[in-house]
Amino acid sequence: MIGASVQKEVATLLRDRGRLLSLFAMPVAFIVVFGMMFKLGPDKPEKRPIAIWHAPADARGQQIQQALADSALFEPVLLGSADAVGRAVDDETYVAGLVVPPDFQPTAKPVVLYIDLTKEPAIRGPINGALIGLVMRALVPSGIAQPVFVATQMPPGAHPAPDEISSFQITVPGNAVLFAFFISMAVAITFAHERHTGTWRRMLAAPVSRWRMLIGKLVPYFLISLVQVAFLFGLGAGVFGMKVAGSVTALVVLTASVSLCSVSFGLFVASFGGTERQIGSTVPIAILVMGLLGGCMFPRMFMPGIMKTIGLGVPHSWALDGYYAVLIKSGTTVATIAPELAALLAFAAGFALLGLWRFRFER
Amino acid sequence: MTAVLELRGLGKDYGARTAVKAVDLVVEQGEILGLLGPNGAGKTTTISMASGVVTPTRGTVAIGGVSLANEPNVAKAKLGLVPQEIALYEDLSAMQNMRYFAALYGLRGAAAAEHIAWALAVVGLEERAADVVKTYSGGMQRRLNIAAGLVHKPALLVLDEPTVGVDPQSRNYIFETVLALRKSGMTVIYTSHYMEEVEALCDRVAIMDGGAIVALGTLAELIAQHAGRGIALELTGDVDAAAKAAAAHGTVTRDGAVLRVVPAAALAPVIAAIEATGATIARIESREATLEAAFLALTGRALRDGAA
Repeated sequence: MIGASVQKEVATLLRDRGRLLSLFAMPVAFIVVFGMMFKLGPDKPEKRPIAIWHAPADARGQQIQQALADSALFEPVLLGSADAVGRAVDDETYVAGLVVPPDFQPTAKPVVLYIDLTKEPAIRGPINGALIGLVMRALVPSGIAQPVFVATQMPPGAHPAPDEISSFQITVPGNAVLFAFFISMAVAITFAHERHTGTWRRMLAAPVSRWRMLIGKLVPYFLISLVQVAFLFGLGAGVFGMKVAGSVTALVVLTASVSLCSVSFGLFVASFGGTERQIGSTVPIAILVMGLLGGCMFPRMFMPGIMKTIGLGVPHSWALDGYYAVLIKSGTTVATIAPELAALLAFAAGFALLGLWRFRFER
Repeated sequence: MTAVLELRGLGKDYGARTAVKAVDLVVEQGEILGLLGPNGAGKTTTISMASGVVTPTRGTVAIGGVSLANEPNVAKAKLGLVPQEIALYEDLSAMQNMRYFAALYGLRGAAAAEHIAWALAVVGLEERAADVVKTYSGGMQRRLNIAAGLVHKPALLVLDEPTVGVDPQSRNYIFETVLALRKSGMTVIYTSHYMEEVEALCDRVAIMDGGAIVALGTLAELIAQHAGRGIALELTGDVDAAAKAAAAHGTVTRDGAVLRVVPAAALAPVIAAIEATGATIARIESREATLEAAFLALTGRALRDGAA
């Protein structure tokens, strides 16, 4: 009976273009748009332009200009005069500018760094520090070692990040989780539709236990959810170059937990017994709010602390923490994401128990 | 005769409201039993309890001698329910629908194919099996609705308003189908808004009102016991007062200025009571003894004014 139910639900879904679009095409559109918006990693690194002036044929000026050009951070733009550099920084054409005096002398006649000192230290500081470091290294004569006061290292036992963290490693799981939960709406609507059309009465009159009826309704959507998330991750990896740094098994187990949670939430929603119209007009709001709180559209790492804490109240945030670990941190296994899996399964169990408690076969 | 369905003291309460009091009903093999009653009489609740769709508050159901409470799956396998709604998946083809409903009864493979072919042939839709249901006419959807309830070849078929919204041609086809199924030995419970359908098809009729069966018998028995010969009186003057006065001497229903009266005894006291109110009788017409008259006498309501 469950096999027949899977066939029936899949056949129904394949004929419903609206639902297909909302489950498969819409998340792809979201992934593309959000992927373009979030340039979190060096997906397409953009160097920050820095104004510079030095006298023509000034060897030290050319060395500094070359050092900026060689860095991964800055793109030097040679202006016509020292005054032009000052004006360009003043009118915010450039965030900073360097003027290398022709009669440069350490301490007495230093290189001048123009930068708006009223800017937030958190914004100004890294640019300031990086430019000073680059200038100093450019001016040290070759072959002379600088004293090492600070040595930079990876922490012991840390897993190296992949070569590149793509914005799609953020937006693919974000939207996969967001739209995986739209399955819950499909689950609730299918119950309402069966009741409305009378097929539910037919099923109740058939020699099938009510538990099997329920499982027969939920299993197809669990499988559809797996296919949906697999499709989105496959697209992310195949088309958008999203890498999986951790274990694929962990990815599969995590996805199964997310799908289970979504279907359980669908049962919970269905237990309220609304009409298709009521479900269609209210449940998307709940799903979108949960997705926002869980960081599906705007990563939680950028949220204030209170919002991060509130976000832990929805399964989406646990799912995304798990996905980020699996996608970004090499060496991530099922054991590594055990807390996230446990939280998701607890949410699934909670939704299922509440749903079963409220669900009425005879309504 | 063998009882295919036995309802004993069957009742249902929804909170403080009693939908069905305590129904006792035995349906014999091979008969077509009509179930009539005004809106809220409890017909659908009774059918739902008999089909295992609704759990009774009290009483028992046995289908083919098997207790629905003790062996629900065995009992349910003997019954086919055709709901009042078009209970089909309209985005799927007739064949996909039938396969799914066959699977609900454990039918797969060759057995399912044989049962589906038979059921579609019974309702004359075998040529359209591959078509999507929503492309069907209303009448064809009604016929497929019946086929889905027949697919497991049940001993008892429960048809809940099977002709609602169909054209006369499809209605006749459904009539012929029901009669053919009865001829093949199948038992049928048939509810309908249409008195003439019940008169044309049913061997016995159960009339429900107020959550109870108020009359049960063959058409002839019901008419003889409850209809009698009635009259229609067209009045002028105070029709309200005349109706109240006439009600003391028989069963009265009013349609504008016309009172339909089934006298409790003789006609003379009815006419005297009306004339005593000052109303004038403009026209008198005698009526045939019909099932409708029996229904009116038993429920005090016209079926089409409030049946479901």
